[in-house]
Amino acid sequence: MTQSVVGVVGLAAPQLEAAEKVDGSARFIADLNRPGMLYGAVLQSPHAHARILSYDVSRALAIAGVRAVVTGDDVQTNWRMGAFIKDEHALAKGKVRYVGEAVAAIAADSEAVAREAAAAINVVYEELPAALSPHAALKPDAAVIHEELANYIKVFDTGSAGNLCSRTSFREGDIEQGWRDSDLIFEAHYLTQAQAHVSLEPCGALAEIDANGRITLWSANQSVFRVQANVCESLGLPMSRLRCLTPRIGAGFGNKMEPHVQPLAVLLAMKARRPVKLVLSREQDFEMVRARHPFDIRVKTGVKRDGTLVAREVEVLLDGGAFADDSPGVLGYALLMSCGPYRIPHAHCHGRLAYTNKMRFGAFRGFGVPQITFATETQLDEIADALAIDPIELRLKNLKRQGDRWLGGQPIASCGLNECIERVRTASGWNGGRHRAGSAGSRRALGMACSAHISGLLSTGAIIRLLEDGSVLLNTGAVDIGQGSNTVLSQLCAEALRVPLDRVSIASPDTDGSPYNWGTTASRVTYMTGISVLGAAAEVERKIKEHAAEILECSAQDLELVPGGFVAVKGIPHRRVGFAAVSGRAHWAAGGPIIGSHSWVFDQKTVDPKRASVVGLPFPQIGAFVFNAIVVDVEIDETTGKSRVERAWSACDVGRAINPQMVEGQIEGAFVQGLGFALFEEMVWNGPQIANPTLMDYKIPTFIEAPSELYAIIVESNDPGGPFGAKSVGEIGINGVAAAIANAVNAAVGVRLRRLPLTSERVLEAMLASEQK
Amino acid sequence: MASNPALFQSPTLTEALDLLAAIPGARPLSGGASLVAMMNAGLVEPAALVSLTRIPELRGIRVTADGGVIIGAATRHNEIAADPRLCGTAAVLPHAAAQIAGMAVRNMGTIGGAIAHADPGLDFPPALAAAGAVVELASAAARRRVPIREFFVDWYATVLTPGEIVIAVHLPKPKPGVGLYLKHARVSGDFAIVSVAVSLARDGEAHVAVGGCGPVPLASAEADGIVSSDLSASALAHAGDLLTALANPVDDVRATADYRRLLIPRMLARALNDCMAASRSVA
Ligand SMILES: Cc1cc2nc3c(=O)[nH]c(=O)nc-3n(C[C@H](O)[C@H](O)[C@H](O)COP(=O)(O)OP(=O)(O)OC[C@H]3O[C@@H](n4cnc5c(N)ncnc54)[C@H](O)[C@@H]3O)c2cc1C
Repeated sequence: MTQSVVGVVGLAAPQLEAAEKVDGSARFIADLNRPGMLYGAVLQSPHAHARILSYDVSRALAIAGVRAVVTGDDVQTNWRMGAFIKDEHALAKGKVRYVGEAVAAIAADSEAVAREAAAAINVVYEELPAALSPHAALKPDAAVIHEELANYIKVFDTGSAGNLCSRTSFREGDIEQGWRDSDLIFEAHYLTQAQAHVSLEPCGALAEIDANGRITLWSANQSVFRVQANVCESLGLPMSRLRCLTPRIGAGFGNKMEPHVQPLAVLLAMKARRPVKLVLSREQDFEMVRARHPFDIRVKTGVKRDGTLVAREVEVLLDGGAFADDSPGVLGYALLMSCGPYRIPHAHCHGRLAYTNKMRFGAFRGFGVPQITFATETQLDEIADALAIDPIELRLKNLKRQGDRWLGGQPIASCGLNECIERVRTASGWNGGRHRAGSAGSRRALGMACSAHISGLLSTGAIIRLLEDGSVLLNTGAVDIGQGSNTVLSQLCAEALRVPLDRVSIASPDTDGSPYNWGTTASRVTYMTGISVLGAAAEVERKIKEHAAEILECSAQDLELVPGGFVAVKGIPHRRVGFAAVSGRAHWAAGGPIIGSHSWVFDQKTVDPKRASVVGLPFPQIGAFVFNAIVVDVEIDETTGKSRVERAWSACDVGRAINPQMVEGQIEGAFVQGLGFALFEEMVWNGPQIANPTLMDYKIPTFIEAPSELYAIIVESNDPGGPFGAKSVGEIGINGVAAAIANAVNAAVGVRLRRLPLTSERVLEAMLASEQK
Repeated sequence: MASNPALFQSPTLTEALDLLAAIPGARPLSGGASLVAMMNAGLVEPAALVSLTRIPELRGIRVTADGGVIIGAATRHNEIAADPRLCGTAAVLPHAAAQIAGMAVRNMGTIGGAIAHADPGLDFPPALAAAGAVVELASAAARRRVPIREFFVDWYATVLTPGEIVIAVHLPKPKPGVGLYLKHARVSGDFAIVSVAVSLARDGEAHVAVGGCGPVPLASAEADGIVSSDLSASALAHAGDLLTALANPVDDVRATADYRRLLIPRMLARALNDCMAASRSVA
């Protein structure tokens, strides 16, 4: 099914919610109110690591307007949540493990009173030594952050021990043989920093409990189903008692996939027996939710003199922060991607993840791949330089192709990377030379990088109902976090049923009524949910034809859907019947209302045990690969060392662009977020304390920092398994940005920086040091 | 942020000054860009706010009979950025104003508020130091004038006494020449890591000042003397070293103190070279 019949697939339809976002009527979590609603506030830990000896909440409760106070005493010890390791309570219980952690929460008549009450709570702590880096945490004498780690529930073989949260290793080929077969071996060490998500909308939740004790929860989220699971695990509730809904979401980037304040809002609502809304301030959002993992990376690559890659070892150490959250997944996934889209016969990619006394690190667009790619793709440029091979030619020589196997052994179903590279090479004028004339006092050059990502993971479903009048209601449970999945899924549904887009409406995710969807994360919605939408549409189509066969007195096999909501005899378009007539018959006469449904779980094995041996695999079934090539044109100011990306070309093999305008938006947005990661975004800790948890001190790129020319190039490899050939685009565009910029900086000023971000200070320092030599 | 201070919209300067003298803990409110943010963060809790923005005397830019320029304290950054009378050597001021924050803050913030706030990262203090400005202050009891280079005392501290406000900034008659403000920040709209302000008259007279490198803008008559007589690379380096010696920068999330020191001579030379290039292209 790859041909667009009604022209809805491939159409740059405006986002369904565009008007309400432009006129301001879109309602986000902070805009929601319920009758009798209270406001929540959180008391945060002042210590990185301390035992909680006692709480005194009496002064807080005495303040007029305070309705409920909750502490760790309100949750049971065995009520723990976590995606991979169930190690986290709804709020600190027994110990605090990072500065900023929630210690108590208050519901009151106003936000001001709730905050005043938070300040009136007295907690007695016994301070413990803190481990503030993974190196410190893994020392034998380090203070243990989770004494109960051995007893926690884990969803895979994590190898946890002491402050080691998890470890993963991939082996393919024979690495020792690989080193022996190599003419040259390159090895270097790389560091990447913590990056904050800075979604436009900070995290928040609103919980309401009814007279029967059933709870409704709205929150800023990327999956109503993960919210439901986390709240129920951390509060000891049966999942059927909690209904999760979603308002509009002001972006997620991974930050809203796993829990933030949802368990606290529910706990407060249950205690106060009133609706409670708890929305974090921007500072709290920086301090309490999660951020991109700092990586410590060693990369060793063996090559033949002709540039053939022979062997690759990657070793990483991740700072996981105080709770595992998505970290074991990030570790495993980053390693899975650490040979990049290249044929490397011998590989050993391994790493560890440590608990530390910092805020948890977790999912963030790219899921570890921007970090790994910075290391591996800059090392490839070093190899190219040493061998005097053009960096693009070196990559092309080693590229994986369609049908090749990924590290671990999964076949690549479709691969448009070659075309991505050629498109950016041509568009940027790369072959004309990498050095460009800069403005006075600056130097300028091109740099490039390639990367890959996935589209398929875990489970999903879709339900399509044909309403009485023949219009279509799609229900998938996939939260649109602003990226436009409501529009794209509606386009797929409209195309499959051959109806105009405005004939399809999409239901808002609701754990009571929507089919399960693991989440809007891992670049998976278009591919995973798209396949379910087509599956559900196929069932609807089959049922429509059954009715139409009765009405038209022919065989269902002789019928086809024709554009506009009709079904007709093949080749005789005027012998047709409309969806309204079909649905009317189903509702009132025969068969019953037409409902199509589909659900599935991504089932391609990550590892083929005949090819690879893997220890500690967090994602046993993940795949459907997408690809990207980037060229950037960077100018460096010789006075200050400041880099500016003047132009950029980012080509993504997305399989098929269901909505080209939204694909371009994702490529552009990912580029600019990657630019911040490359050049200046960095969360800084002053001892245990985040030093820059404000937008005054933590800077993200503005339009002025965006390249003057940013070209999003769509490459369509038409994946045989994807919906209308589509794969994904949400993350792929960020992975290679930092590496491409670092490669351009090196080409322009001759310095190789192996630590992100490439601040003006670090670049100038390196330039001056290289001049001294 | 529990406090909710009374807000007075004074129509006249006298009334505003009387209120400030009469109410202990009252603060002048100008654009509010910094003050309201500080109140929201719980850093200050004024007993009352006396708004200055409706006092006609404090608004706008005037040119005096002798060609000097008076900028009312409540004049917005964007008005300064766009005023063609701030030309020649005074162009350093609009050039700096245009680089402050983003459009929203430039539409709110005022020059009086900015210099009274005396945040060491602000752009106007070095620009005014290069422009040779004199600050006019008033209290219920008296008025006085203080040269800008004496106005700033320490981190967030000025010569202002309780009840006293900035009412205007006086600039000498702009000379033919160029004014330039070179700002180095992580991103546009951020506070400067280092900034350099230059006024270079066609007759050779030059004034330079550096921001972001200590509690007060760095400027010295000696450095001005050097760059007024010699713009060779070695003279610029010498002036840069003099200003660097005055620096007292800190390490913060924007940059280290060492980097700031390193940048002073580099950016000074760059700014003056850019000025020379600009004056050649004007001539
Ligand atoms: C997001 C953001 C980014 C910014 N970025 C920059 C930047 O890049 N560069 C830059 O230079 N500045 C920057 N600023 C600061 C900005 O320039 C402010 O406008 C300025 O500091 C204060 O001016 P205001 O009129 O708003 O003063 P207010 O906020 O009204 O007052 C500031 C302080 O001065 C006092 N005050 C006000 N007027 C007077 C007066 N006439 N006499 C005596 N005291 C007075 C107030 O009591 C208060 O203590 C930024 C501010 C924000 C919010």
